[in-house]
Amino acid sequence: MTETLTGIDMSVRTPEDRFRARKVSTEVEARPLSAALPPPGRLNPAARKAYYFYLMAPAIALLAFISLYPFFWLIVMAFQKGDMGAVEWVGFKNFTDLASDDRFLSGWVLLFRYSTMCLFLQVSIGVLLAVVVNGSRYERFLVTALLMPMMMAPAVAGLLWLFLYNGTFGWYHWIFHSLGLLGSGSILSSAKTAMYAIVLVDVWQWTPLITLIALAGLKRVPRDQIEANMVDGASPFRNFFAIVLPNLYPVLLIAVLLRFMDNFRFIDHILVLTGGGPANATKILPVYLFEVAFKFFDLGRGAAIALVLLVVTIILGKILVGVFDRPTAGGR
Amino acid sequence: MASRDVVHYNTPLQRVLSVLSVVFVIFYLIWTLLPFVIMFVSSFKDLLEAFKLPAVGDWAGVGVFFEFTPTLKHYQTLFSENNFSRYMLNSLIAAGGSAVISVIFGSLAAYSLSRVDFRGKSDLFFWIISTRMAPVVAVMVPLFAIFRSLDLVGTLPGLILAYTTFNLPFAIWILKGFFDNVPYGIEEAQMVDGATRFQAFRSILPLVAPGIGAFIVLCILFAWNDFLFAAIIGSGGAKTLPVATRELVQPQNIQWGAIMAAGVVTTAPMMLLGLVIRKYLVTGLTMGAVKE
Repeated sequence: MTETLTGIDMSVRTPEDRFRARKVSTEVEARPLSAALPPPGRLNPAARKAYYFYLMAPAIALLAFISLYPFFWLIVMAFQKGDMGAVEWVGFKNFTDLASDDRFLSGWVLLFRYSTMCLFLQVSIGVLLAVVVNGSRYERFLVTALLMPMMMAPAVAGLLWLFLYNGTFGWYHWIFHSLGLLGSGSILSSAKTAMYAIVLVDVWQWTPLITLIALAGLKRVPRDQIEANMVDGASPFRNFFAIVLPNLYPVLLIAVLLRFMDNFRFIDHILVLTGGGPANATKILPVYLFEVAFKFFDLGRGAAIALVLLVVTIILGKILVGVFDRPTAGGR
Repeated sequence: MASRDVVHYNTPLQRVLSVLSVVFVIFYLIWTLLPFVIMFVSSFKDLLEAFKLPAVGDWAGVGVFFEFTPTLKHYQTLFSENNFSRYMLNSLIAAGGSAVISVIFGSLAAYSLSRVDFRGKSDLFFWIISTRMAPVVAVMVPLFAIFRSLDLVGTLPGLILAYTTFNLPFAIWILKGFFDNVPYGIEEAQMVDGATRFQAFRSILPLVAPGIGAFIVLCILFAWNDFLFAAIIGSGGAKTLPVATRELVQPQNIQWGAIMAAGVVTTAPMMLLGLVIRKYLVTGLTMGAVKE
């Protein structure tokens, strides 16, 4: 089927095109211009919009049921107290309570501290790795090896690291201890170090994603610019900061925003490794929400926290989609 | 290519850099792969052997790691005592079910979204994608309340539906990109030849089939690796592998051997799938924003 199409330029649709003059006198007619596509409207009427809406309807309806409907429920729940069946309207009390809730506020602080540490390490290590791996003889092998951590379920990764961090038989604990970085206590048991332990796991699992994204970006850095710069006598460092990094910036922005939102989305590592402890040192906001809603089953308060969290995510998402749509981002 | 011939750096700085970068890559590879090696090897060790460590600071004693007699008993307990074959089936049904539903509904929606223009389309699109980005815990609060009233908590259909909350928007978003790349002219030509609109749609499916296949796999991957939905919505009747693995951690008795074995069982299939769809992985994990 495709073979019959290769010769025909599908963009030739308007009447003017059909009667265009030859551009060059030697141009050979591979097909008679008179045999172009029929004008739209007669044999091939533009699709009725309704047809497409019918195709769309099942997915939209399903999505509405599992996303829009719950969202309205969430709003309703946020103004209620108590469980299903025995609910009581409490107005804005759930929200005003949050303002004086220390864990809610510290949850935000911890969330941003956690995200900042993760992102800083992931981006700096990830980009460095991408630059080194790019064009290497072993690139294919290295990239495949890098993919491995991302394929692992975060909860399982958490359990694996729980084993590695264990104060009596964990190999990583032994390594840290032998290097003198750590005392005999496990890294997870101290409120001071628990956050770093979790950041390390996140860095282990997701730095490769940044590397892959950066690699895709590096392939698109215009070679002529680098060459021109090198001809002008720039050092490799100068080359990197003046040419490569600015060209990499749009994809990196996407990577950072994606990872930032994932830090909101996934709390599997933390739930498995520390459960928010010790002494709430790792109780970032989503973990706190999990505890309120599914440990204490205070769904009203949970809904209020969830709503605030959702609003912030939607704002972040709006920014992200804006970046996606920017032509320089290499997206669609 | 040409530049290599024209400008050839071979300064001492360059040589130091290349040595440093080799060291860096080797170090990073060890850091990335060591946990897997430890998990894999420990799953074949008896517990006492798995707990053996050299003295602190005794770097020469690392060889202790390889002193063991391989045993399969952890895998045996997993499947005989802990019912893991059942959980594996649950994982498979939940992940596969939501992937198939998402891709069928998603491809229809993605196709029509790619072919038609209407007012508010970008808003519809933003709604779809924000569903995917919403924090799982926040989504789960109302979903749990609704599912409880519908008796869907703890059932596989409930879990499939829960996974669809993130897989369907993902499928629509990515597949739209695929359909955008297929020229409308192909369908037009089909219709000129007498095909109906739906036949024309079917005729372009082979062009996007590789992409659709890869994204079924990606949807399976996301659902298989999920922990939160499975822990809350699937709790009880529809336990999946990550949740079952987590439950091997008991306050008095952490069955480390079984956990390592369960980790291997949970991770290995996804790694194989990941290698199969390697080409689409970056596009998928960045939601289509970055293409390799």
